[in-house]
This record gives sequence, C-alpha cells and structure tokens, in this order.
Amino acid sequence: MPLQEVLAVVLVVAVCVVLMAGYPVALTLGGVSLAVALAGDLLGVFDLSLLRALPPRIFGVVTNEVLIAIPLFVFMGVMLERSRVAEDLLETMARLFGALTGGLGIAVLFVGVLLAAAKGIVGATTVTMGLIVLPTMLRHGYDPRLAAGTVAATATLAQIFPPATVLVLLGDQMSNAYQAAQLAQGTFAPQAVTVSDLFAGALVPAFGLVALYLVFLIAVAALWPASSPAIPPDPDAPRGLALARRLAEVMVAPLLLVLAVLGSILAGVATPSESAALGAVGAILLAARRAGAKGAWAREVLVPVLHRTCQITSMIFLILIGATLFSLVFRGLGGDDMVDRALTNLPGGTAGAVLTVMLAMFLLGFVMDAFEIIFVVVPIVAPILLTMPGIDPVWLGVMMALNLQTSYMHPPLGPTLFYLRGVAPPQITTMHIYVGIIPFVLIQLAALALLWFVPGLATWLPHALYGGG
Amino acid sequence: MRPMPAPLSPFSGFPRSAPLRAADAIDRITAATGRAAAWLALALVAVQFAVVVLRYVFGMGSVWLQETIVYAHAAMILLAAAWTLQAGGHVRVDIFYAEASPRARALVDLLGALLLLLPFMLVLLVVALPYVGRSWSILERSREAGGLPLVFALKTLIPVFALLLALQGIAQAIRAAAALRGPAAPAPAADRS
Repeated sequence: MPLQEVLAVVLVVAVCVVLMAGYPVALTLGGVSLAVALAGDLLGVFDLSLLRALPPRIFGVVTNEVLIAIPLFVFMGVMLERSRVAEDLLETMARLFGALTGGLGIAVLFVGVLLAAAKGIVGATTVTMGLIVLPTMLRHGYDPRLAAGTVAATATLAQIFPPATVLVLLGDQMSNAYQAAQLAQGTFAPQAVTVSDLFAGALVPAFGLVALYLVFLIAVAALWPASSPAIPPDPDAPRGLALARRLAEVMVAPLLLVLAVLGSILAGVATPSESAALGAVGAILLAARRAGAKGAWAREVLVPVLHRTCQITSMIFLILIGATLFSLVFRGLGGDDMVDRALTNLPGGTAGAVLTVMLAMFLLGFVMDAFEIIFVVVPIVAPILLTMPGIDPVWLGVMMALNLQTSYMHPPLGPTLFYLRGVAPPQITTMHIYVGIIPFVLIQLAALALLWFVPGLATWLPHALYGGG
Repeated sequence: MRPMPAPLSPFSGFPRSAPLRAADAIDRITAATGRAAAWLALALVAVQFAVVVLRYVFGMGSVWLQETIVYAHAAMILLAAAWTLQAGGHVRVDIFYAEASPRARALVDLLGALLLLLPFMLVLLVVALPYVGRSWSILERSREAGGLPLVFALKTLIPVFALLLALQGIAQAIRAAAALRGPAAPAPAADRS
C-alpha cells in the first residue's frame, strides 16, 4: 500500500479514535483532518494548496438551496412542540382505543405516526412521548419493557417519515452522487434524483413499518394480555358523539398540516422548502391558538423556538463544514480510489458492495449520529455504488434511511434510547428500555431485508408520481 | 443528536482573573451575535412564506426575495455556530464524556479547543482571507439578473465565522484551564441568561 493510502487509513482511524474523547464531532472531524493533511505535507504526499478549496466549499454548503428546508422543518417541529398537539392527540386516542386489550399501545403508535409526519426530528418527539405517554402506559399496568420499547420505536419513526431531516440531507447527497456517477459513466444529460423522490420513496416503507409494529402490538396483546391491559372506562369522559367531535377537533389541525406539507411536495407543486414554510406558518398558528396572554407569547414561545431552531441548524451545518474538510483531505490522499477498488473487487458484485456499505453504516451507527454518517460516508460510497449496474438511487437512499433509522434505536447507544432514559419515570430502568426495543429492532431488520428483495416498495411511488425511468 | 449540558457561565459577584474576564467578554460577544442571528430564522420563515404566496397566488417570482432567503439562512448558520458551541449545542460522542469527571471533561475541552478547534479555524481564516479579498476587489454580485449585489458581503461571513469560533474556542480553553487548576477557581453559577 503506498504511503498516501496508509495516511488515508490513518485519517479514518484517527477520526474514530479522537471522536471517542467527546469533543464536538464537527470540530474533531476538521481538526483531525487538518493534522493528517499537515503530516501528509511533511511526508510529501499531500498538497496543502488543496485546502484553498475550503472557503468556496463552505460557501457552497451554506448557500445550498435544497438544504434551506432544514431550518424551516426544524422550526416547524420545535414550534409544534409548543402547541400541545401531542398531549391532546394522545388523550383522545387513548379514549378511543383504550377499552381494548392492547388498545393504548395502538393509540400510542397512531399518535407517534402523526407526530413523526408533522415533526421530522427524533429528539423532540421522544421527549414529548416519554414525558406524556410512558407514565400513562405504566399507570394503566403496561409491562415497562413493552411500554418503553413502543415509545422508543414509535418516536424513531420521525427519522423515516417524510419530511424527516435525514431524508432531506440524504436526498441532497444522493442527488450529487447520482450526477457524479452518471458523468463518470459518460452520460452528459444526467437524470436527476431529488429530495421529493426520496420523500415519496420513503412513504410506503414507512407505512410498512407501522403495519409491522401494529401486528407486533396486537400479537403481544393476544398472547400476553397481562402485558397490555385495557383501560377501565372513565365515567366522566366524553363518549359517543361527544368523543367523535373531540376526536375531529384534535385530529384536524395536525392532519391538515401534514397533508398540506406532504401533499404539496408529493404532488410536485412545491419544493420541500416551500412546503416547509407553509408548515412553519401552520405550526405558528397552532401554537398561537394555544397561547394565553398575547404580550408574553413573543418572549415565552417565539424567542425560545427561534433559539432552538438556530442552534439545531447551526449544529447540523457545522458537522457538514467539518465533513467538508474531511472529504477534501480524504480525497486528496486518494482515499476515494481506495474505497472504489475495495468495493468493486468484493465477492458478490453489486449485492456484495451494497451489503458491505449497509453493514458498515449499521456498525458506524453504534458510535456516530445519522448526520455524521450522511455527511462523511455517503459522499464517498454513494457515487461508487450508483455506477454499478441495477442500483436505483431512490432505493439506495431509502435503504440507507431505514438503516440509519434503525441505528437510532439499537442498544446500547441509539440516541432515542438516551433521550428516553433522560425523561423516563424512575421505575423504568435502562434494562427495560434495552430489552423492550429488541423486538422493534428485529422488525426493522426484517423491513430492511424485505426492501432488499422487493425494491419496488421504495421505487414504485416516486415513479408513479413523477414518472421517469 | 446528543447535546451536552451547557458550560456554565460566570458568577458575577466574584473577583475574577484577567483571563476569565476575557472569556466572559468573548461569551458576551458570541451570545449577542448568536441571539441576533436567531431572528434570521423568523426572517427565513416569513420570506419563504411570502415567496410561496407570491408564486402560487399571484404567479410572481422574485430572484431578489429568493436570494434574501439564501442570505438569511447562510448568515444564521455562520453567525450562530460559536454561540451554539458556548451553549453546548454541538453534538459530542458522549460514550465516555457523559460519564467522565468534571476534570476529565475540562481536559477534553482544553485539548480539543487548542489542538482541534483553533488550528481548524486559523487555517480557514488564512485561506478565506484571499478568497474574500478577491470577491471584494470586484465587489462581486449575484450572477442572476435581478439578484442581490452583495455576494462579497456574504462571503465575508466565512472569515467572521472562523474568527467567532476561534474566539469562543479561546474562551472555552480558558474556562477549562481554570477548572483544571482546581477548586481555587470560583464556582460558576447555574444561571446563564
């Protein structure tokens, strides 16, 4: 192996090792890459003038129009948090399904789906559900493992349901990679893949996951009724027509919001950023309806929401900026050629290459965040995979999204589990969460396998909506 | 996303050493810039919504408004990064960090600021200055007809971003060093408004 490629390997290993120390990821990526670049310069195998590409790259990152959807969707999610939509939904759904054995779990699943489609950020959904749902389930005698697992898995759906932030970022990376792959093959009028394609592609698999979760919850309720008891009816609760009216009241606002946002994107009339702006304004209206005194609203709701939005966005983009320097140095050392050779020479051809990448992403999920994997790994591997015959970019993107979503919830380090442990009531132990999530992780893996063998699950809807090859 | 608890900000009643006072001053600059930048998020929502209404209701498009959105977005990210660091909003791999003692955390922050953050930002500053200089020398404007004539100003935010983060890194290093020198350093208060 030439010295240059040795350094490329050193770079990857050094990043992984230094990350463990716990300094912010974005700055670790940048700092370690820089150190390796300097070492490469001293050894005469890296040209430091390559670093001059850094400012234009950063300019490209922060002015990328596709990614403007990110702060808008984050704003929408954070603002919805303040509107108490989640609380209202859960209360009503629990009334509706609660009288059945296992009904509360199913109610939680439905609420989770609505919230996931409306919010798109896992952290916020987990905290809300952990604070409201988990105590309710425990109070009604649910098995703590089942309760914790249901809440964690349901909250993680936010990572695969459009408009998940992960899908926007993946869509942008896949579109660049697809262009690069086609140019490399000599196609000069390349086809495009967009964020909207990925949204549409993720929709069927996302509902498939919900169906699998539902089957699991019903099976548990049928086989072990003691684990998910029915709620005794509350004599004061609205029933019959009153319940139906209440249901319509709490469902209509979030449903309209979801339909407006997703509908306009999927119908192809609006870009993700445009739909996100609609959703953001809708979320402001929902939160405003809830607010008390007018004067306090700006101080108590708006300013904190703006601060959260700004910091989350800045966090995501700083990782992207750090990853920019990493890819610059990694490519400068010939690392991408090395990965290319390794992936194309694998036994099993295309399937072997995709499987290896999927496995690598799954394992990286133990230590890295989905954002980091998307920014660091996808730009290197996706252009290579997409030049291989028979790989559809939408299918690959949805496979990656599903894989990353799973990494959010598998023990011991899935971020959702951490969030949940942070807000769960004291009688829920870490072990309850770890054991409870296992069946859901298995469901995720089954869904991945299904998507592997039936790619049409991801590619059918975008083709039906937008046409094309 | 696993944001860590914020590093605590100074306790105002104590006599403070010169480096800690410098760190306080840096914190104030970064926080003021960041809070101001956060309002750009509202501008982003408002202008993007206006663009949607103009396009789908009145059938009008405006390059000028579209570019305003890009500017607000870019400026928000670049100006708020340092404030986000101060508030503990940048993700860490917290397998060890979360369980580590305060001294171990201070050591990670000190070494990270000195060996990772500062070199990164200084190199960025060095390569960004000529890049921005070229843009200023022609007062670079948008390539689109009807676009904003302010590309040079937007590009200037890249060295500003590097400078703000470098300053915040220095403040982080000062506080970490103070924490490492032991309990002699005044205990920080929990209030961080």
